[in-house]
Amino acid sequence: MTTAARQETRALAEWRAEIRAWLEANVPEGGLPDPESGDILDAHRAWERTLFEAGYAALHWPVEYGGKGADLDARIVFQEEYERAGAPPRMNLGGLMLAGPTIMKYGTPEQKEFWLPAILSCEHLWCQGFSEPGAGSDLANLRTSAVLDGDELVINGQKIWTSGGMHADWMFGMVRTGDPQSGHRGITYVMIDMRTPGIDVRPIKQINGQTGFSEVFFTDVRVPVANVMGELNGGWQVAMEALGHERGAGRRTYVKFLNDLAQLREFVTSLGQADDVGVREDLGRLLTAVSVYRHHVGRTVADSMRGHDGPEASYNKLYWSEMTAQIHEVGMRVLAARAELQDDEKSLPGAKQWQDNYWFSRATRIFAGTNQIQKNIISERVLGLPKEPRR
Amino acid sequence: MTYAFTAEQEDLRRTARDLFGRTCTPGDVRAAWEPDADQDRSRWRRMADLGFLGANVPTEFGGSGLGDAELTVLLEEAGYAALPEPLLETAAIVVPILREHGSPEQRETWLPRIASGEVLATAQLMDAPAAPYGTVADLALLELDDGLHLVPGDRLTREPAPSMDGARHTAALRGVPDAGTRLPDAARVDARSRGAAAAAAVLNGVTRRLLDMTVAYAKEREQFGRPIGSFQAVKHLLAEVALEVETARPAAWYALTAVAEGHADAGLASSAAKAAANAAATTASYHTLQVHGGIGFTWEHDLHLWLKRGKALEFAYGSLRHHHRVLGDAVVTCPDLMATFGPALSAAS
Ligand SMILES: Cc1cc2nc3c(=O)[nH]c(=O)nc-3n(C[C@H](O)[C@H](O)[C@H](O)COP(=O)(O)OP(=O)(O)OC[C@H]3O[C@@H](n4cnc5c(N)ncnc54)[C@H](O)[C@@H]3O)c2cc1C
Repeated sequence: MTTAARQETRALAEWRAEIRAWLEANVPEGGLPDPESGDILDAHRAWERTLFEAGYAALHWPVEYGGKGADLDARIVFQEEYERAGAPPRMNLGGLMLAGPTIMKYGTPEQKEFWLPAILSCEHLWCQGFSEPGAGSDLANLRTSAVLDGDELVINGQKIWTSGGMHADWMFGMVRTGDPQSGHRGITYVMIDMRTPGIDVRPIKQINGQTGFSEVFFTDVRVPVANVMGELNGGWQVAMEALGHERGAGRRTYVKFLNDLAQLREFVTSLGQADDVGVREDLGRLLTAVSVYRHHVGRTVADSMRGHDGPEASYNKLYWSEMTAQIHEVGMRVLAARAELQDDEKSLPGAKQWQDNYWFSRATRIFAGTNQIQKNIISERVLGLPKEPRR
Repeated sequence: MTYAFTAEQEDLRRTARDLFGRTCTPGDVRAAWEPDADQDRSRWRRMADLGFLGANVPTEFGGSGLGDAELTVLLEEAGYAALPEPLLETAAIVVPILREHGSPEQRETWLPRIASGEVLATAQLMDAPAAPYGTVADLALLELDDGLHLVPGDRLTREPAPSMDGARHTAALRGVPDAGTRLPDAARVDARSRGAAAAAAVLNGVTRRLLDMTVAYAKEREQFGRPIGSFQAVKHLLAEVALEVETARPAAWYALTAVAEGHADAGLASSAAKAAANAAATTASYHTLQVHGGIGFTWEHDLHLWLKRGKALEFAYGSLRHHHRVLGDAVVTCPDLMATFGPALSAAS
């Protein structure tokens, strides 16, 4: 604690200055269009390519795979500066955060050479094929089957809620190779080329009117056994490692939420509500949350760098998702009766953004493990309460 | 940026937990509710012997060499034990205010006697109607209309004002101020920030204890043939308390560092820390009593010793609403949120 709580080491401070200068020179002015809105993928890919060429695409990857081998504190600094600069949302997090580290651990040298550079440069976009109609929270109940035929797996079944499935080149997925009752012991983790014959991707329109996720149908899809990560029937372990990355610190910083709060302030002011006592209390509550999140991440980083990573990662997912929902709830609250109207920049500047983002903010409690599932994890694995009876 | 305690600081935590585990058991806390228990200074002297009361006192005045990080640990442990004595006021408010704003004479008179355990000090700040251990305090920091005054015990008038938490021995203090008791203007804001940050740390300790007591009970109490802690409705209540208190703690650590080092954001950091601690305490107060059921509603059960300490501290040094308003005003009036609250390039670069 003591003085170190505020002062960054010289190395981190220099790193921050380097990133800040680079972002100031390179972030596209006015930002990029929403990546979900269709044919603007190229602009995002170009931005990813810019990051890649500067060596900033995957700081957490080891140097031998083209990353920087950066420690968590340096990654957080990067993320803070990235958000501060208002740089575009990252396109290929599934590949960079989830598929990449799995490939590094389980892939053959040839696979690493084939997949990793293409993730880094954003040449291949990846999607996550875990959820199924009958297997959401209870992922171990998944049914998409894969039968061994020579040196190929033949896949039949369906994935759902696959974000970015329409644009993806590759999927990291889980399939059932054991018998239907085999639970988590009969699951295999496999990389699937989305252009393989027999794959049918159908976009699903979301509550916010966009088509961010999709269903993916598999009919006799043949995938080389070599694409299996880890052992046949050993995919559960591989997936749990990946999900740990999804929940923990490293991807989100308070700066993102501070940006949201700054925008909310502008919006509230433009509506003439900045002096309303209730609105001020709401804004104070949100600033509290943003500050708490900042120090929570600070503690998580300190713990992690001393080798303590654990189920406490669930605190992180719960906190940022609830905060996201709260921020947007306040946005709707200040719109009040106007919240239902389909405003545009002419009728009420700034309103559309809050109306659209509000509905997306509601997804944060559901994806990456629902918040009830996170509470199960905290109560059982952090507090040590007795497990739910399971089948 | 580090938010971790050193091995020595963790040792100190064990020392404190051990001391309070022996001298501040729930039975001892209950005994401290007796009206004349405020006369007993034995635990206070033990704390002085271990250097707790010499924290942040300059060595020439008998300081123990313990600093802000150590004090942070002690404050959390004081809350965890529901320590009756005003460690918060003495060590986290009066000592630093004396050190930073006191006259040479005030410092010379009081700091050595605080460090040695001879003097027990309290504070009555903001709109507080009474001060803990106001019944017997030897020294009090009072916020009056014209500013902050440091008033010796023999110049205090003490009106009885008993607390719902009998161990706090509250009294409404009025001082007989004069030019010699008045502290410089800057002391006022500083004292408020220090009070809020330190109260947040103590309150988080209280909340963590409520959680631990309730987790233990939920593992042991059976209904419908299974421990109640296996019911998800119970589990989720406790997970919510854990989330709130464990995220509130580092905010208080940070605030205590910020006030100690006089950072520009000390006041706002303290408000955020206290707001978070207050919110966690409210959640814990509801959920932990609920999970205890009828037994938790009895005078005989120890739970209420912590419930009441928590409720008292929730409103001391600023309520949730007070701090939300302070922060909300800052959001609206600061010229550039990102410049004020966002990451800064440090001088080192
Ligand atoms: C915007 C968005 C993007 C997504 N992207 C992807 C993706 O790219 N790839 C992918 O694989 N998946 C993705 N998902 C799916 C997501 O992971 C699942 O929706 C989530 O795991 C929940 O599963 P479910 O929808 O089947 O709900 P269910 O599991 O059926 O849950 C329904 C409700 O029951 C509760 N519940 C279930 N089990 C328990 C329990 N044991 N205890 C307490 N409560 C319980 C849940 O919390 C929830 O409230 C996405 C979802 C959304 C909303």
